[in-house]
Amino acid sequence: MEEFLSNPYLQSIVATLLIIALFPLIAGYMVLAERKILADLQVRLGPMRVGPYGALQPLADALKLMLKEDIIPSGADKWVFWMAPVLSTFTALSAFAVLPLSDKFYVADVNIGILFILAMSSIGALGLILGGWSSNSKYSLMGSLRAAAQMVSYEVPLSFAAVTGIMCAGTLSMQGIVQAQYERGVWGAFDNYLLMLIPTVLFIIAGTAETNRAPFDLPEAESEIVAGFHTEYSGFRFALYFLAEYAAIFVISGICVTLFFGGWLRPFPNVGFLETPLSVGLPVVLFGVIALACLRGATRQIVAGFKLGMFGLAVVALLLAALFYIPTVNPLIIGLFWFLAKVAVLVYMFIWYRGTFPRFRYDQLMDVGWKWLIPVSLAGLIINSVAQMLARS
Amino acid sequence: MSDTMLAPPPAPEATLLDSNELVINMGPQHPSTHGVLRVILKLDGETVLGAECVIGYLHRGVEKIAENRTYQQFAPYVDRMDYVAAVSNGLGYCMAVEKLLDVEIPDRARAVRVILAEINRISSHLLWLGTHALDIGAITPVFLCFREREEALKIFEKYCGARLTTHAFRIGGLQYETYDTFEKDCLTFCGLMGEKLKEYHDLLTGNRIWVNRTKGIGILNAADCKDYGVTGPVLRASGEEWDIRRAQPYCGYEKYDFDIPTAKNGDTFDRYMVRMEEIVQSCRIIRQAVEDIPAGPIKGKVGKVIKPPPGEAYVSVEAPKGELGYYVVSDGSLNPYRVRVRPPSFVNLGALDKMCRGSLVADVVAIIGTIDIVLGEVDR
Amino acid sequence: MANPVNTFLLTDLLKGLWTTFKNQRPSLVVTEQYPQERPQVMERYRGAPRLNTHPETAETLCIACNLCALACPEQLIVVTSERNPETRRKELTNFIYDTSRCMFCGLCEDACPVDALELTQDFELATFTREGQIWDRQMLEEGPLPTEYRH
Repeated sequence: MEEFLSNPYLQSIVATLLIIALFPLIAGYMVLAERKILADLQVRLGPMRVGPYGALQPLADALKLMLKEDIIPSGADKWVFWMAPVLSTFTALSAFAVLPLSDKFYVADVNIGILFILAMSSIGALGLILGGWSSNSKYSLMGSLRAAAQMVSYEVPLSFAAVTGIMCAGTLSMQGIVQAQYERGVWGAFDNYLLMLIPTVLFIIAGTAETNRAPFDLPEAESEIVAGFHTEYSGFRFALYFLAEYAAIFVISGICVTLFFGGWLRPFPNVGFLETPLSVGLPVVLFGVIALACLRGATRQIVAGFKLGMFGLAVVALLLAALFYIPTVNPLIIGLFWFLAKVAVLVYMFIWYRGTFPRFRYDQLMDVGWKWLIPVSLAGLIINSVAQMLARS
Repeated sequence: MSDTMLAPPPAPEATLLDSNELVINMGPQHPSTHGVLRVILKLDGETVLGAECVIGYLHRGVEKIAENRTYQQFAPYVDRMDYVAAVSNGLGYCMAVEKLLDVEIPDRARAVRVILAEINRISSHLLWLGTHALDIGAITPVFLCFREREEALKIFEKYCGARLTTHAFRIGGLQYETYDTFEKDCLTFCGLMGEKLKEYHDLLTGNRIWVNRTKGIGILNAADCKDYGVTGPVLRASGEEWDIRRAQPYCGYEKYDFDIPTAKNGDTFDRYMVRMEEIVQSCRIIRQAVEDIPAGPIKGKVGKVIKPPPGEAYVSVEAPKGELGYYVVSDGSLNPYRVRVRPPSFVNLGALDKMCRGSLVADVVAIIGTIDIVLGEVDR
Repeated sequence: MANPVNTFLLTDLLKGLWTTFKNQRPSLVVTEQYPQERPQVMERYRGAPRLNTHPETAETLCIACNLCALACPEQLIVVTSERNPETRRKELTNFIYDTSRCMFCGLCEDACPVDALELTQDFELATFTREGQIWDRQMLEEGPLPTEYRH
């Protein structure tokens, strides 16, 4: 037993299994969160019928997608059509391997971590291109052509912004980047006399484009080319594309948090007297408020089962709050809490853009990418290197 | 962003290889062809070389139905042509038959007709704004527009009992007397619109993506408009100050003080601004009309059985989408001998090919949205 | 757009973001949860037809004059009557109203000289069969069977 526990691969394997098992669920709830937040922005309620406040909607959706007929269009390249969504999902999920979810919970700490993620997301584009091409449909083909052009042009500013962040941290290892921010006592975004804000904003913009989210959702622009590259997909294969998309959003937000927002560090990581209020107080209060909100929501439910469900959610939230109160457990999960909280804020912003902005046109997208983002990100890199040299010499 | 970026790329005369041309079929089941319009697009990459409309998927033979109904019985059917502006349709048809009958409409009925037609214009424009923004990718305005449109529909429901296909007017005047809080509701609605228009402007007008997507897209100049017979906001956006309400006043529009919004460039952005301004002007008309609704009867001297003398009449009104004309021929019997409708959507849609050439696929969607078509009216 | 500072600081985009952000207040939600929350139907609403009876004697008000059937653009009303030999009056035997073809224009209501036929505020007209859409005299007088709408 002792030997088993001290096995160096144990932690990686457990983390891998947990991520693969849990991510579809998390993606499902990200979809629900997106629908709910969009509904909020649009003075609607969003899903309300499956479970209290639509809490079981992801399960119903997943069940529906799995039970649907898997249609393969006649004239489609069958094998490519089958494998394209798998490729997309595989690359999106494999990027999790180096994502530092917390100081304790990660699969691997590779010294080229960020390169690995960027490489994987580039291959992910191939899944979209092949999927669109193999469908033997004109709309799909147009979607995949758009995807190819967009991914290629936006990877450049994305990489430049990431390089600026790496330069600031001085390492390619994801854990090392977080550690460097801890040592400098400031989040990457506010380093170099706030000049790092330029690559931060650029990274978010290019990341939105890289994940094909509105206002850059041209490959799947539903009002123009129906659904873009996945027009012909249905059932489980369609679900895989969905999974890949949400995994990509999570990964891009995770990289952004790691590079620029201190990863799993709490805010003001070096200010000692904030330790107790931020590490214990804030999560306890947060989950306590969630529990109260659930209890308040329970009184408004009409169906008896939903009432019970809301009480259950309140109990879960209270248990989580209690977990943060236990001194021995707290250090284990507080990093994960901060990481997920920061990712949640970024994901919220992604949804917020989608609810607000119109969509770019294809040529304008290229213009913005090549004429604005790339020069500005290059300038940001140079300015930051000069500032960093002055600041640290 | 520079202005050079806004201009659409010039249309290529001929492609290098003919095989580069891609023909795609947009519709009839496409999310943004506003119903069952089918557009056959000839593309070079994403550049449109030509667009051909195929219509008729919603054809119900409305004009033929008219020949088998009495004059009054046909009135509910006209609501179902441009179903988002049913009041304007009803108004045009009733006025055409009234012209045949040569009856005088009481002032009270005319004032109420103006108010309802203008509220209907606002609700039609709101629906256009929401769907147009949705086509261009902004998904929030459609819900906000529907929220405000609901208030307009509530006024219709309170007044005549139906929300969409209202059948609010009868030949000779009105069927229903106004309800108690009618004036107050109309003024509240105008106030609400003034408030909410700011929200739309904040969301769209200044937004650089919106401006890029609409400025210089689908240009139609005044001469082309006249060639194609295009009317309504599309014509006014190209600089022509032509509005039936001003040019051939009906229903007492000459009494009200309002501006005809125009613009210079005739592009999608100008059409957007013209329609937004029209909402403001409609509110102005409603305010003035509500101020003094004259007392008196609501129906002119029309018998129970409508039997116009033989003859013909053409009446056109300014519907939200353009000039809506009704040509009614009577042979002296109970049924009209022939009813011909000049639907603004159908005529305006004819300019689609002209507007689309040389633009991109994404612009086609924006252009279809900006013409503001209703397929019920195009196909009839 | 003209101001380069605004262009660089993305003020136009932030204005839009602020507009949508403001709309998140829960009190602004306009959704109506239909079966649980009933919509407010206006007094003049033209919905399900009803054949009115005398409130005291429960006799039908309809005089079988057939004007509604003549007024109907869709010719979906069939009034059958027989002449009472004693009073020499027409008496209603059956009244058939096909709601599946009705467009609720209200012309029959207008035509009725005795206010017997009326379009009511009831809007829940769904049935499981096509035949169920054809209402006879009994259904028109008593109203449709109470149906509970659930989800």
